[in-house]
Amino acid sequence: MSNYYNMPKLPTEASPKVEIFVDDKAVMVPGDTNLLEALKAVGIETPHVCYHPYLPVSGNCRQCLVEQEGPRGRMLVISCYTPVTPGMKIYTPASSARVKNARKATQEFMLVNHPLDCPICDKAGECTLQENYMECGQNESRLRPEYGKNYHGNPAHQFVDAKGQVRGGKHVDLGPRVLLDEERCVQCDRCVRFMRSIAGSEQLQLAGRADHTYITTFPGEKLDHEYDLCVTDVCPVGAMTAKYFRFQKRVWLLSHTPTVSMDDSLGANIWLDHADGRIYRVMPRCNPEVNRSWLSNTSRLAFQEFDKNRLPSMELHKVTFGNGKIAIVAGGTCTMEDLAAMKMLKESLGDRAELFGGSLLKVTAPDGIAKSGDPCANRAGMKLMGFADVSELLKRASEFETLFTVNANLFGEDANAAKVLEKINTRVALTPFDDETAKKASIAIGVRHWSEVQGTMVNSLNIVQKLSACPVCPDEGLKAPYAVVAFLAGEKLESAADAFKKVTEYVPAFAGLSYDTIKSTGKLLEGGNA
Amino acid sequence: MAETVKVCTQNFGKGAQDIEVYKKLGGYANISERLFNMSQFELIDYVQRSNLRGRGGAGFPTGMKWSFVPRGTGKPVYIVVNADEGEGGTFKDHFLMMEDPHRLIEGLIIAAWALGSRAAYIYCRGEFLPCIESLNKALNQAYAAGYLGENIMGTKFCFDIFVHRGAGAYICGEETALINSLEGQKGQPRLKPPFPAVCGAWKSPTCVNNVETIMSLPWILQHDPSEYAKMGTPRAGGTKVFCISGDVKNPGVYEAPLGTPMMTMINEYAGGVVGGKLKAVLPGGSSCAPLTAEEAAVATMDYECLASMKTMFGSGAMIVINDTHNMVDLLNCLGNFYSHESCGQCTPCREGTGLLHRMLNLIVEGKGHDGDVELMQSLTGGFGGVTICPLSISLGGPVASYSAKFRADFDEYIAKNPDHAKPRVQETARPGIFW
Repeated sequence: MSNYYNMPKLPTEASPKVEIFVDDKAVMVPGDTNLLEALKAVGIETPHVCYHPYLPVSGNCRQCLVEQEGPRGRMLVISCYTPVTPGMKIYTPASSARVKNARKATQEFMLVNHPLDCPICDKAGECTLQENYMECGQNESRLRPEYGKNYHGNPAHQFVDAKGQVRGGKHVDLGPRVLLDEERCVQCDRCVRFMRSIAGSEQLQLAGRADHTYITTFPGEKLDHEYDLCVTDVCPVGAMTAKYFRFQKRVWLLSHTPTVSMDDSLGANIWLDHADGRIYRVMPRCNPEVNRSWLSNTSRLAFQEFDKNRLPSMELHKVTFGNGKIAIVAGGTCTMEDLAAMKMLKESLGDRAELFGGSLLKVTAPDGIAKSGDPCANRAGMKLMGFADVSELLKRASEFETLFTVNANLFGEDANAAKVLEKINTRVALTPFDDETAKKASIAIGVRHWSEVQGTMVNSLNIVQKLSACPVCPDEGLKAPYAVVAFLAGEKLESAADAFKKVTEYVPAFAGLSYDTIKSTGKLLEGGNA
Repeated sequence: MAETVKVCTQNFGKGAQDIEVYKKLGGYANISERLFNMSQFELIDYVQRSNLRGRGGAGFPTGMKWSFVPRGTGKPVYIVVNADEGEGGTFKDHFLMMEDPHRLIEGLIIAAWALGSRAAYIYCRGEFLPCIESLNKALNQAYAAGYLGENIMGTKFCFDIFVHRGAGAYICGEETALINSLEGQKGQPRLKPPFPAVCGAWKSPTCVNNVETIMSLPWILQHDPSEYAKMGTPRAGGTKVFCISGDVKNPGVYEAPLGTPMMTMINEYAGGVVGGKLKAVLPGGSSCAPLTAEEAAVATMDYECLASMKTMFGSGAMIVINDTHNMVDLLNCLGNFYSHESCGQCTPCREGTGLLHRMLNLIVEGKGHDGDVELMQSLTGGFGGVTICPLSISLGGPVASYSAKFRADFDEYIAKNPDHAKPRVQETARPGIFW
């Protein structure tokens, strides 16, 4: 592929509308985009393999063909690379047998050297080839077995199977996290383009040509990058597979919970794919404003620790706080609802309580893909709620007699801070995990993890995003942090919606919002800079 | 054989590799006498009036191609000479550069003046080592004589020529793949638009011309463009260097005016068919449709006539085939070549050329079945106009045309399989719903 491929222009709400003729019917479509996106905007799906809205267009799969009326008659063009021009005349399979046959032919070619191992393929069920086959293939195979397949791939990975056929590499180890099946690869070069244009580290390349083209790394090098698991997402077939998810679960048995990753203040939108009461994988959820279709390995693989080392549920009793000053500290994974409950607690305690929030982990620079570099996810929300930064607490730790932490592993995050905070006599910790802070606490109360609660957070772009509760809590007795904090404050928050009502009271920018009015991609707050 | 004007091959066998000999034969007179008195637009108009069409295969009018190159963009304009001669049966550029490298250099200086270019690249096929040697020697002589480099002939005009060795990929003869390869990338055709004239090598305006096209320029400038135009057909002027190969007495490179009858080329220039009777002629390289003996009898060698016969003029590489050959063998060779040379980008070409080759191989091995030919014809339907470059059609076209015109050859091979009439697919018992 060439270096000169450009990113596709995607339609926005501000796109000017132009009139084009699809199958001789006039329709209004966004005018500043490619034909594929324009047709999608009016509800016409075009099958495609190599095109990805957030990757440069390479136009090699030839699956998205449409017919365009031109000076030399009706020509087949690829819709992903054809810009919309006013008045253009387009013919889709609905009216053109030629387009239908051309797509069918491409589909047939695509399957010539593709193994039919769907029953053991991890991608089966969410495979672009399968979808395209249902849309424009569905022909009886016309090929005799003798014509054979050509699983050349890397000659070093070839082997002869039990039937005496030469086969390609079935599990080529590309790096610490990704395996490649060379037989399944359809050479769409999405992964190559991802590593080059998005990850900015050219670790994959297509080697060879013709039907012995194969994906490979540079000799002696490994595919090893913070975003390398994204190649398994962009792979339209089951060629790129994540080692952690290989043969774990059929994808159609997974349920999907839309939520937000709370390990970074950008709040990458994710799907928690779960079944049998556990999370099997985390997938990026497309949000054009936030993380597009990308997700870092850190955010993606964090789920493996979610159900480990958890605190059990316990029966709650009314506690009384002493007369001294109380520091209420919110950790980065606290939702807006948790913060509201903590504010309620502070109000019930009066002036002797103070609110702090944040994380002691190091803030790094944004990587421009799906991380802002700030591990305190809800920092913007804390600012809105009027929480002071936790560094303030470290300076004035001697003033306090009680330390009340929620989801804040201050002792684990910084050893020096631990020494300072140890001097505070009474330490109450609300945390999902049996971490250092819980171990050092006078009372450690188990709560639900952020993946198991409903709520909202404000990300570094000032966008309010929704979290949903994934039904994977290991202990049904566990309560959400806001419920526990409200109980300790002597009040009652029955549900996340009740807590959210409190948020709207405390934060003027939230006025008028409700879970229903916040879209799945979030809502930009006034004065935001998204 | 009537004596005709020689444009590109006039210095063949005269030792014109040496600059002194070349100058004695009238070379570089354009540069010292005429060129710098002409404006760029005058020169482009000159070329347009000469009716010169690109000699690489597509036959695009050269003057029009030059007029597409934008001016004043602030970017340099590059000239790239396509000397990556890879089409089966074509060997003219090889001889032209070997025998007369200074004519190419002179032509390039003219083109550079017309396009306002500072540098040109000769993308030469890597296997042409003697050719590259001869070119480099000629370039050194031209630099020493002051025809290249800074301030040519005391003007402000500066121009450099570089010879780039390709790595022998057929697809690098496609202009955008050539540019990719020149830049150091994988030789794969780019999506168009933008066309190279606007955004080519290093994102700058680039004019890609064939060797023969550039080598025609000195003659055109020396004489009158109308004289050049007069030699050809109304829509394509001048002479053409033909490479005649195959079953003829004297295979080789011959220059003749466009529009010469095909049989004149075969019988008078190449000495006639040997080894048997004429069976077929590939008029423009390996990727074009063949003409049967009857068609060849009425064909003339020019763009329009051959296009009307549903084949193409291409690079003027005639391959003459006598009746001792089975066309399936030839097609199998093409299948081998094109399935190997597909760049691997577009699905139909990447997977289809290989599949066709495997099918042809089976037929040649005597394992063909009834219906294989129909299936191949049907598969080539998926090639037409759907890929980035025309390589897929370079195999798809021949498969369709060979099987249409020489069906008996296919049947002969298929009949060698005793089981050829058996059903194509051995129907296995399909698993029921309760699998």
